[in-house]
Amino acid sequence: MTQGSSTGAEPPIAPDPDIDEVEASERSGTDRAHARQLFVELSQRPEGDPTRAKMRDELVAMHMPLVEYLARRFRNRGEPLDDLVQVATIGLIKSIDRFDTERGVEFSTYATPTIVGEIKRHFRDKGWAIRVPRRLQELKLALTKTTGELSQQLGRSPTVAELAERLGMSEEEVLEGLESANAYAAVSLDAPESSDEGGGAVSDTLGEYDEALDRVEYREALKPLLDELPVREKKILMLRFFGNMTQSQIATQLGISQMHVSRLLARTLAQLREGLLHED
Amino acid sequence: MTHDAAADIEVPLRDVVTVRIPASGAYLAVLRTATAGLAARLDFTLDEIEDLRMAVDEACALLLSSAVAGTDLTCAFELDSDGLRIAVTVASRDGVLPRRDTFAWTVLTALAGGVDARVDAENRVTVELHKMRGAAAGAAAGGA
Repeated sequence: MTQGSSTGAEPPIAPDPDIDEVEASERSGTDRAHARQLFVELSQRPEGDPTRAKMRDELVAMHMPLVEYLARRFRNRGEPLDDLVQVATIGLIKSIDRFDTERGVEFSTYATPTIVGEIKRHFRDKGWAIRVPRRLQELKLALTKTTGELSQQLGRSPTVAELAERLGMSEEEVLEGLESANAYAAVSLDAPESSDEGGGAVSDTLGEYDEALDRVEYREALKPLLDELPVREKKILMLRFFGNMTQSQIATQLGISQMHVSRLLARTLAQLREGLLHED
Repeated sequence: MTHDAAADIEVPLRDVVTVRIPASGAYLAVLRTATAGLAARLDFTLDEIEDLRMAVDEACALLLSSAVAGTDLTCAFELDSDGLRIAVTVASRDGVLPRRDTFAWTVLTALAGGVDARVDAENRVTVELHKMRGAAAGAAAGGA
């Protein structure tokens, strides 16, 4: 793909995740009754009945869209999607084996936490979720809290010296805390792309920044990458780079900490860089 | 309680810290840490420190894509009373300057404030970032 020269031609599009997701949820809707029936039959067959394995396979195949959907929610965290789908499938199989139709919940409701749990475990096992020593965890918490307080008082983001003084520690320690706060995995895996709701309102405000984007070269390559971003990440990116807001201002607007904004920004930039590199 | 920390720091007129690493992404963490440490010395705010960290990352990424394999990347931090100048230099394969109409350049400008690029006769390409001391160092007017 030659950058910039493909005006009017088909943009270099990765498959649109949103479309897949819609399809996935519709499909699982129509299959729901069938799945329920299969579960009932499965529970009635005696152990060792050869049709059990077949039914189980069918149930797995039937719920793969759910698996793929959940895996995709973690796709921007540095692990290949294929691997995520694989571990998520393990979660699905566990759920199928443990599901009890008597419980009166939908299978997808029952399976989702198990599948997500399996994905998170994968991240933990891979060492992404670097275990931060307790001392640093506490330091990080103190920094986040104090940064918020000082920002309020000063009307701007604090300096390291100001933080050190308020916390009664050395600047070295503050820097160490900031460093550990930047550790990749600190981006909470427990809150996967939570910002799906309210997406409509957000995209309204993003419209004006899209115009700013038009002045940027490689936009044909960039736009699909931006569209793949979770709404919140895209919003942060746009506000910072085209809306000229500071990290603290964005943090206030989104109701999250400045450190969180900083981490999300750094991660998003790295992703875009990676994506653009592969376009070249 | 309003202690003006900026006044305590005696920054000599011009200090230069140079860090040289292999031209490979694997060592960028060293530069990020150095950037944060030096920016803290100059009393940049956390916002500005994080911006600088990302800017250095971005500048390096920009240059590493055309760096001659097996060479070094040099990062010179110049601390003066106005702020921080960071010059990232690599031996480039083609001696072509980064384009200014790209997303990467937009990002760099938003993060650092001043951005410039130059190339010398030996195809050494430098991206220079210049971040002025802002909110905390001067009078903290404006804001929010």
